[in-house]
Amino acid sequence: MRLLSPSNLASDFSRHLRPAAHIAMLRREVLDSFLRSRAQSQGAHLLPALLTSLSLPSSPLHPYLLHYIPSGAGAGAGPATSTLAVDVVVGADGANSRVARCIGAGDYSTAIAFQERVRLPPAGMAAYADLAEMYVGDDVSPDFYAWVFPKCDHVAVGTGTAAAKPAIRRLQAAARARAAPKLAGGVVVRVEAHPIPEHPRPRRVAGRAALVGDAAGYVARCSGEGIYFAAKSGRMCGDAIVRIWKEKGRVAEADLKREYLRRWDEEFAGTFRFLDALQRVFYGSNAAREALVELCGDEYVQRMTFDSYLHKKMAAGRPLDDLGLLWKSAGSLLRATILGREVERLRSL
Amino acid sequence: MASLSPLPTALSTLSSLNPNNNRLPSGHRHHLSLLPKRTLTLSATRSTDAEGGALDSASAVVEKKPKAAVSADPEGKEKQQPEAVAAAAAGNGAAVKAEMPKFRDPRWVNGTWDLKQFVKGGGTDWDAVIDAEARRRKWLEDFPEATSNDEAVVFDTSIIPWWAWIKRFHLPEAERLNGRAAMVGFFMAYFVDSLTGIGLVNQMGNFFCKTLLFVAVVGVLLIRKNEDIEKLKKLLEETVLYDKQWQATWRDDSPTDSKK
Repeated sequence: MRLLSPSNLASDFSRHLRPAAHIAMLRREVLDSFLRSRAQSQGAHLLPALLTSLSLPSSPLHPYLLHYIPSGAGAGAGPATSTLAVDVVVGADGANSRVARCIGAGDYSTAIAFQERVRLPPAGMAAYADLAEMYVGDDVSPDFYAWVFPKCDHVAVGTGTAAAKPAIRRLQAAARARAAPKLAGGVVVRVEAHPIPEHPRPRRVAGRAALVGDAAGYVARCSGEGIYFAAKSGRMCGDAIVRIWKEKGRVAEADLKREYLRRWDEEFAGTFRFLDALQRVFYGSNAAREALVELCGDEYVQRMTFDSYLHKKMAAGRPLDDLGLLWKSAGSLLRATILGREVERLRSL
Repeated sequence: MASLSPLPTALSTLSSLNPNNNRLPSGHRHHLSLLPKRTLTLSATRSTDAEGGALDSASAVVEKKPKAAVSADPEGKEKQQPEAVAAAAAGNGAAVKAEMPKFRDPRWVNGTWDLKQFVKGGGTDWDAVIDAEARRRKWLEDFPEATSNDEAVVFDTSIIPWWAWIKRFHLPEAERLNGRAAMVGFFMAYFVDSLTGIGLVNQMGNFFCKTLLFVAVVGVLLIRKNEDIEKLKKLLEETVLYDKQWQATWRDDSPTDSKK
């Protein structure tokens, strides 16, 4: 993984990788269908349908009513909208979650992630065989980063922003320009855009309905990572429900909050808060981004970043090295800020 | 050090105030519209209306560049590129999308500053290195360049010794702040003395006065411009906001509220 600053200073993250460690690149279309079929093979009933609305129960003893339009095999045969009565609902329907809207979970501010899948000629793909790139700079995103991620037989070039959503196409063009020599001869085969939640919803559990993943807003700041947290929160929520059923036989809101939300917050809220602080300090200006890339060249930073990323937990470093890192961060930020002020002074001449 | 964290957000507000962004009609390429403004500013012909310049169509922008580039140019070196490029583009006539000028400097060799070219009186002229790096970053901010593996940037600002930074940036600021602190201190001491009759030495023994002194020192350090007060308030808000968003789900105690 290479991180490139606005002045094209590059920090190569793979220099200090442990032998088996890696940063996974993912094709969602492959992963999603794999997860679905694995669930089915474990005994889940798959009902291909479009959820239209969710009726809330009038008492803790009444069920939730899911109104859906069946799709898939045998869809045309029955009535247009069917209803399913359930005890517990786990909303895993992503950033535009209908479940969240129906249970009144509240809203969150979102960033937009815009991505183009580019098919490169073989020479171009060879360059990206084991390289992923992240570009930071005001030209590609005022508050996030642009990326070139290889995906098996093509690359995904994209950028994201929360503060400058109307300018996303200009940012995308700038991202393509930054990687232009390496994307030469590439053909855009698909264009995708998606909202990315910036923080959790005001209510993640309402009644006997819980939200997981993007629907709950579990996207880490700074890296924009949400896939792991979606899968993990789904598992934790499922485990919680099973535990409650074994103990009490019936799920109540307090149980869900205690078994799922409390455990989730204890395990991950610290990580999320730290990443939020990192984003606010290091993604705020070009000067800060230069400092970030300079710092990322340091071996300790790379090791800690990898350990935290691989285990999704703030890695416990050695205190003396942490102090050294703090000192280096302060130094880098100071130098970069001073240079940034010089740049502004030159600009105002 | 306390002023460090406001500065990045301060810088982001400063850079977001770039007037070009607001005046761009849709569809303009970012770098094209910036080019006339930058060369005009650097060549000190400020009379040209930036509004008019930015609103020109793309072809008119290309025409403007040669005119601006050949006017008196104190920056010298790096601007040779846009002149040559603009002349070529204008010469082509049909070329609307100009080539982005690349950063060129004879002292920038192999992705780093060649310190042998910064020699002044026996030692390295670190001020000139800092200047050169600031110019390079400014250039790249205005004209972002594509990266390539063979021209990798390897310049690390930590090669500049700490005393060079302090001499150039810390000392003038320290002088200013100490001056302010001395002025405030002298008049506050006089004022308190005239009100209470307690001399300077006895004032220092008083807890309330010591607190005021602490507040005065912290104030001088943190609040250096009028805008800093707003920035500090916003910073404090932002710091607690994310945590509040995480705690939101726990604050709602009655589960049967109406939908939002």
